[in-house]
Amino acid sequence: MSILNQIAIIFGISLLGEIAAYILPFTFPSQIIALIILFVLLMTGVLKIEHIKEKSDFLLKNMAFFFIPAGVGILDEVKEIWPVFWKLIFIMVSGNFVAFFFSALFCTLAMKLTGRRESR
Amino acid sequence: MKEVITSSPFFGITISIIGYALGNALYKRTKKAICNPLLVAIAFVILVVLLFDIPVANYQNGGKLISMFLSPATVVLAITIYRERNTIRKNALAIIMGTLGGSIASIIYIWGLSRILSLDETMALSIIPKGITTPMALSVSKALGGMEGLTMLSVLVTGIFGNISAEMMIKLFRVKSAIPRGVAIGTSSHVVGTSKAMEIGEEEGSISGVSLILTGIITTILSLIIFS
Repeated sequence: MSILNQIAIIFGISLLGEIAAYILPFTFPSQIIALIILFVLLMTGVLKIEHIKEKSDFLLKNMAFFFIPAGVGILDEVKEIWPVFWKLIFIMVSGNFVAFFFSALFCTLAMKLTGRRESR
Repeated sequence: MKEVITSSPFFGITISIIGYALGNALYKRTKKAICNPLLVAIAFVILVVLLFDIPVANYQNGGKLISMFLSPATVVLAITIYRERNTIRKNALAIIMGTLGGSIASIIYIWGLSRILSLDETMALSIIPKGITTPMALSVSKALGGMEGLTMLSVLVTGIFGNISAEMMIKLFRVKSAIPRGVAIGTSSHVVGTSKAMEIGEEEGSISGVSLILTGIITTILSLIIFS
């Protein structure tokens, strides 16, 4: 499909997500609603990956590029962040150990649970 | 003259692309997680902005146009889940339990420790989504009224540290099989960690890729329910 049509499909789904987020009675990121819409369209076969292949490959491959301006935004926050910089870094890095440990733990527990059920 | 050049949207877009190209080249040469292309690109743009005393608002004239692609870039993650649907089906309970456990533990830990260290509430909210993929983390931060730049910093630090420390953590916590390894890496350190998981093994890599998206969705839903 032509690249313009592909852009229209992906932007259209993003727009649908924004409309849904506006209608919903609670705050919810439009991107995730749009992600779910696209997933449902793919699962039901309404949309095929080939329909949006080039555009989505472009977005997935260059994903990191789109975050540069948000990262540069830290310049506006430096004054507030600097006094507590090391506290923040400590929370970030130690948080990795917590997330890693608990996800590995719960995952292993779930596997033992299902493993037992299968062997019965 | 400087005003004319820097306030054009083409300026912001062009220096962002140059920074990103530099970052990619550096990463290809060194293969070190610390040379993450995004980190290098941000550092480059900040350097240019500070060196030539350019107002950040001018840079953001172009920056805003780039940020517009954040939503579509999140949306296409659906394709990753779709491609890996068989992997998910086979290990559904293990992946869901792992990502759920990791996300909840992470939210409680960050919030609790921020309180103990008497951090400002806005800052705590900004780093709650530190372990999830950037577009989702930014949307959570925005919804909770957090600081976008700080959220970006926390996501980058988390990803890079996760990438560097993945093998050490596997040894430290004695994680023996591929599935929990992948889940733990994807849950704790999103895309940047996942690239290390892919080096460790193919199964670790694809499980990590799926887990990072699930963790993103779970963390988004939970943090909005708890904090908004």
